[in-house]
Amino acid sequence: MSTNNTSYWTVFKNGVFGENPVFRLALSLCPAVAVTSGVKNGTLMGVAVLFVMVMVNATVSLIRNFINPKVRIPSYMFIIATWVTVTDLVMAAYARDVYKQMGLYIMLIVAFAIVLSRAEVFAMKNKLIPSIIDGAGMGMGFLLALALIGVFREFLGKGALWGFQILWADGKPVKPMLIAILPAGGFFAMGLIMGGLNWIDRRFFGGTGSGGGAH
Amino acid sequence: MKDMIKVTLGLVVIFIAAGVIMGATYKMTSPVRYVAEQKEKEEALKEMAPEATDPIKAAGTWVSHEKTYEYYAATSNGKPVAYIATTAGKGYSSHILMLVSVNTDLKIRDMKILHHGETPGLGDQVEDRALFLDQFKGKSLPQLVLVKSETKENIQAISGATISSRAVTNGTKDAVQTLVEKYGAGLNAAAQGQETHHHEVKHEHK
Repeated sequence: MSTNNTSYWTVFKNGVFGENPVFRLALSLCPAVAVTSGVKNGTLMGVAVLFVMVMVNATVSLIRNFINPKVRIPSYMFIIATWVTVTDLVMAAYARDVYKQMGLYIMLIVAFAIVLSRAEVFAMKNKLIPSIIDGAGMGMGFLLALALIGVFREFLGKGALWGFQILWADGKPVKPMLIAILPAGGFFAMGLIMGGLNWIDRRFFGGTGSGGGAH
Repeated sequence: MKDMIKVTLGLVVIFIAAGVIMGATYKMTSPVRYVAEQKEKEEALKEMAPEATDPIKAAGTWVSHEKTYEYYAATSNGKPVAYIATTAGKGYSSHILMLVSVNTDLKIRDMKILHHGETPGLGDQVEDRALFLDQFKGKSLPQLVLVKSETKENIQAISGATISSRAVTNGTKDAVQTLVEKYGAGLNAAAQGQETHHHEVKHEHK
């Protein structure tokens, strides 16, 4: 995966579309189900992951010649844990309102497969700038995927978007399908959206429509 | 052997650097966080009794399910205007920590959820004032019973979040019970006049 003759924009786009973490690489599906019961939760989680991925990719890329290949996984884990802890501490002190919403989720980022995978697959083999772009692209792809699943689930499950009630009947909120915000609904939503995107890709862009298995 | 030392040293350097970064961040952020948390607690207490002119101070502690909580008396020029207690209830996936305030007639005046770890989208709806929390206002101790049908007299559970609703109701009941015991010497007679509701309480808990 060399980036010598590919532009930064291609690298970024690859993270959002070509190798979207959730819908294409099928990595980090656990958080994608757990926190997407609402658009807001999904988006906030995405923002935190985006930040951590950029920082981790940058750090790994900077010290990639120093990391001994035999112990690269523990090294990645420690770099990830450091940045997640720093994010958690800084948010707890300076962004109290956001922290109250998503404090529970931040520590989970340590175990996200997508962060570890990009450190190994990309940052370890590329220079600083492309690595940062890759982190940003993958993070953005993750954010958009979570937001999309969130829209699907919150609208069907609660008749609301970003916490605002949209569907009303006789002055009462309408909840079309309660199952959509339950964990089972998360799997349904993810599968349906993944299938839908593959269909669009095949139908209009001539793609092969792969879901996972790329790595 | 030589390789082993090299690998170990490399890891040690990374771990030490990471430790220094985390330690420095903690040192920088923890005072800010402490101040913010203290301020939030004070503001939450103030919110419970906005007309109290004197600073709200802890009046004592009470114990529920082996945990210690505080209760407060809010006074205005030395005269009590409200009593406040921290309390908690065991929800679906966490302890829901709350503040409950009662008027001097020991009816609930306001409450606030301080911290919880309930399921986003389901259990966290107990924080919704219009949907759930506001129905506690004006209720007296015997009325704090969770029911699943529509009610004005008691507390109506949120559909899909019965366990979290029950946690908030029971936690509130414990707090009000304590405040009644501490401050309600002259009001016990009034509470006993509602024997029928006591019957419902027992029924619900089966």
